[in-house]
Amino acid sequence: METIWLYQFRLIVIGDSTVGKSCLIRRFTEGRFAQVSDPTVGVDFFSRLVEIEPGKRIKLQIWDTAGQERFRSITRAYYRNSVGGLLLFDITNRRSFQNVHNWLEEARSHVQPHSIVFLLVGHKCDLEAQRQVTQHEAEKLAGAYGMRYVETSARDAINVEKAFVDLTREIFELVRSGDIQIQDGWEGVKSGFVPNMVHSSEEVTKGSRQCFC
Amino acid sequence: MSIPSSSPERESATGVQLECPSSPPGLDADPPSTGSPVLSPDSSSHDAVLSAPAASPADSENLSPDELELLAKLEEQNRLLEADSKSMRSMSGSRRNSGSSLVSSSSASSNLSHLEEDTWILWGRIVNEWEEWRRKKDKLLKELIRKGIPHHFRAIVWQLLGNATDMPVKNQYSELLKMSSPCEKLIRRDIARTYPEHEFFKGQDSLGQEVLFNVMKAYSLVDREVGYCQGSAFIVGLLLMQMPEEEAFCVFVRLMQEYRLRELFKPSMAELGLCIYQFEYLLQEQLPELNVHFRSQSFHTSMYASSWFLTLFLTFLPLPVATRIFDIFMYEGLEIIFRVGLAILQYNQTDLIQLDMEGMSQHFQKVIPHQFDSCPDKLILRAYQVKYNPKRMKKLEKEYTTIKNKEMEEQIEIKRLRTENRLLKQRIETLEKGQVTRAQEAEENYVIKRELAVVRQQCNTASESLEKAQETIRELQQQTYTEQFVNNLQTQLEQSRLREAELLGALKEMQDKVLDLEKRSSCLPDENNLAALQEEVKQMKLRELETLRSFREMQDTVTDLNQRWQHHMSRSSSTGGGGGHWKESPKKNAMNELQDKLMTVRLREAQAQAELREVKLKALQLDSQNQIHSKLIGRHEQERSALQDRLQMVANQNKALQAQLNEMKRKQAESDCKSKEEVMAVRLREADSMAVMAELRQKIAELEIQKEEGLIKGQLNHSDSRQYISQLRDQIAELKNEVRQLRGQKAAPSSRIGCGGGSTNYQDLHLASPTSAEGDYLSSDEDLLNSPLPATALYPTLSDPCHPSTQLDSEGSTDSEAEERVQTHPDPQQLYSNMCLPFV
Repeated sequence: METIWLYQFRLIVIGDSTVGKSCLIRRFTEGRFAQVSDPTVGVDFFSRLVEIEPGKRIKLQIWDTAGQERFRSITRAYYRNSVGGLLLFDITNRRSFQNVHNWLEEARSHVQPHSIVFLLVGHKCDLEAQRQVTQHEAEKLAGAYGMRYVETSARDAINVEKAFVDLTREIFELVRSGDIQIQDGWEGVKSGFVPNMVHSSEEVTKGSRQCFC
Repeated sequence: MSIPSSSPERESATGVQLECPSSPPGLDADPPSTGSPVLSPDSSSHDAVLSAPAASPADSENLSPDELELLAKLEEQNRLLEADSKSMRSMSGSRRNSGSSLVSSSSASSNLSHLEEDTWILWGRIVNEWEEWRRKKDKLLKELIRKGIPHHFRAIVWQLLGNATDMPVKNQYSELLKMSSPCEKLIRRDIARTYPEHEFFKGQDSLGQEVLFNVMKAYSLVDREVGYCQGSAFIVGLLLMQMPEEEAFCVFVRLMQEYRLRELFKPSMAELGLCIYQFEYLLQEQLPELNVHFRSQSFHTSMYASSWFLTLFLTFLPLPVATRIFDIFMYEGLEIIFRVGLAILQYNQTDLIQLDMEGMSQHFQKVIPHQFDSCPDKLILRAYQVKYNPKRMKKLEKEYTTIKNKEMEEQIEIKRLRTENRLLKQRIETLEKGQVTRAQEAEENYVIKRELAVVRQQCNTASESLEKAQETIRELQQQTYTEQFVNNLQTQLEQSRLREAELLGALKEMQDKVLDLEKRSSCLPDENNLAALQEEVKQMKLRELETLRSFREMQDTVTDLNQRWQHHMSRSSSTGGGGGHWKESPKKNAMNELQDKLMTVRLREAQAQAELREVKLKALQLDSQNQIHSKLIGRHEQERSALQDRLQMVANQNKALQAQLNEMKRKQAESDCKSKEEVMAVRLREADSMAVMAELRQKIAELEIQKEEGLIKGQLNHSDSRQYISQLRDQIAELKNEVRQLRGQKAAPSSRIGCGGGSTNYQDLHLASPTSAEGDYLSSDEDLLNSPLPATALYPTLSDPCHPSTQLDSEGSTDSEAEERVQTHPDPQQLYSNMCLPFV
């Protein structure tokens, strides 16, 4: 009954209110774009399978969080069990870009001493005319925090797939190299149901998850 | 569908019936709701009427017979309509915002109108006699609300339930709208996302969005702490579907203050945490299996329940259902949210337990919201079957606050420990660094100790050798000379001779060495080394001198001994000659004599040899001195050449400086020339400017004349007396003079060159003046005599004595005089002709 997948990664999507978190996730998981969507009140949940290499499928569980600051009391509970995250800002809203640092701090302080693999996403790149954040400065900021950067548009379906798949690949490499390890009581990475592969069994037994920050 | 038309209620309720017209929208007793009925999407009022009152009817114990009858009738009708309602629900019980309005549904089932009427009559009575109902028939009211408030009564009933009818804050509303709120931007962004599919809020500039923004903004200003929280707009939106903005604002303020909503929406959202904690408790208590399943799937309560509490199911369930829940919420508060939430979970328990995380999430998103579309009463009925103990909830609240406090303390403690840890780590680092330096120090210390030991050893050996030396000195001091010692002198003499020879050898060697060293020192350029060698040489010489002295002493002793020996010989020969020699053979005597002679010869020989050596030594000494001197000379030579070089250098420098000096002198001369030229140029310019100034002064004078002329003209125009005219004539005469004078001034530059030309100018002026002016000129003579020539002050450039115009100048100088003169001379005709003159 289960779809066969190698690993299950839990991702969290964070960023200021109205940067388009829910729209990006909906585009990725449902393949459609809604002009308007309810503001997320608390936390929403989505999932999808991605194939990173032929035959190697990863199940993504994605947490969509409320952007308004006061909701952090709810959302912060979801950082700990996330292995990766998309940190969104709106390229037409400079404020949301300036808050990237705060979001990283928020995430960092709640997963200490572990860390989350983040991908910086400049969203709404279809609105080039209203751009307030250049690609260069965003790349610079991402570099400073050791993140990769990608610009997406949920409306025009630009780079949506790439953003999630790139992040998944990055995490996959870290899991394969042993930098991220599966651990009991931690839901960030789970080994999947793999009938004919010896591959993952060695990693499963590796023991406790180490700090890779 | 038969409703008794002659119901006893009809008569008793006639008073109420009056305000229930046949057209439902206009019926309301509350004016605020007039703007909204069409907007309402829900048909819950019908549901309310249709639903069976399954909830315990025990509440209606103490009701009046009328009301009991009414209730019974309603129930009966509901039952009758149960079957029929299904067909209707297919139209009305749709997804939220489906647009099924009250009007359409009512028209679809016209046979319900009687029942509707009854309900309205009842609610009309309730609204009119609100206070009484609240006091006496509260339980029935509760029951009725649970069945749903008819749509048209919602506005007023919600206001009454919320006690929001007379609020002072209502008067501030219009003022608040004029202010600007810090949350405005955020509110604006969310407005378009609130009920986006609802007719009232559709479109960017729709009335709904406008009023929603107004109310949200006004609230954010009234309550700065909460400001604006996402989710609250849905509640306000619902209120706005029922009533105008001011009323909606008041009800919202009440909801925030009195219904725990404010605590829910506060920035800390602590109340939400508490609600979720309480809800988890209820879940654990009443649905333990589901709770275990949720936990095993790590399906957090906050994932589904936070929006339930924050938006009161408005974003979770379709609007008709959510509005029914909201009716009850208005009366009973948050309890209904717990109840409905648990009822939903209970209803779905079997499904959920079979699902995994994703499945459950899908179920919550897709299936649950529409489960009760057609039968909200089922949900509400179930909700009231949920056990809910308010005391228990209070207890839980206390528990939660203690847990939270503890957590907070722990957080603080963790933070403290983290910082402490960091500080300790830093300390360790610094200590590690310190250790390294200490090790280095210890090593150095060891080296120094070893050196110290070596030095001490050296010191010991040195003191030992010192002691030895002192001992030898003492020994040497103890040595004394005795008489007997003199007797051994002969043997000592031999020894001393040998030593002497040895010393001489050594001396020679030393001298050789000295020579060698001197050679080497001459090779070495080092001054210090040379000095040391010279010192050595000096010491050597001193030693040499000492040895020489001892040598002489030795010689002296030898000569002394010789003398003694001869004396002794002569004594022995005289004694021998006197007695013994007689008996001895002459051969023996001769032998002795020869031996003596040999001895003396030998002595002499030695003496001569010693002298020879001495001489040689002296020669050597002189030689070395000679060498030293020649070296000194060489050095002096070197110094001399160096000095000569320096001298040459200094001479060169001197030459260069001389050249510089010459250059400077030349430059100075040049600049002198320049400055002189400048001075000349300045003087020239000064002269020029003086000339310009003179011209300007001339111009000034001309202008003054013109002015006076103008003045006179004016006076002429205005006066009619002859006297005045004569005065003017006088003035003109004077002015003419001035003109002449100025003409002369113009000629001044040329007259300055040659003073002789002045007289001709004067004559020219006289010739130019007409005869008519002469009389005037003469008439003013007396005045002129009294005036003390102030013109010189006015025209300093004209003070040249050669200039003839000075006299004329003095005449036309002061205005006061001219005026005096004008008063005595009439004849305007003449004056006029004179006046023209200066312009000719």
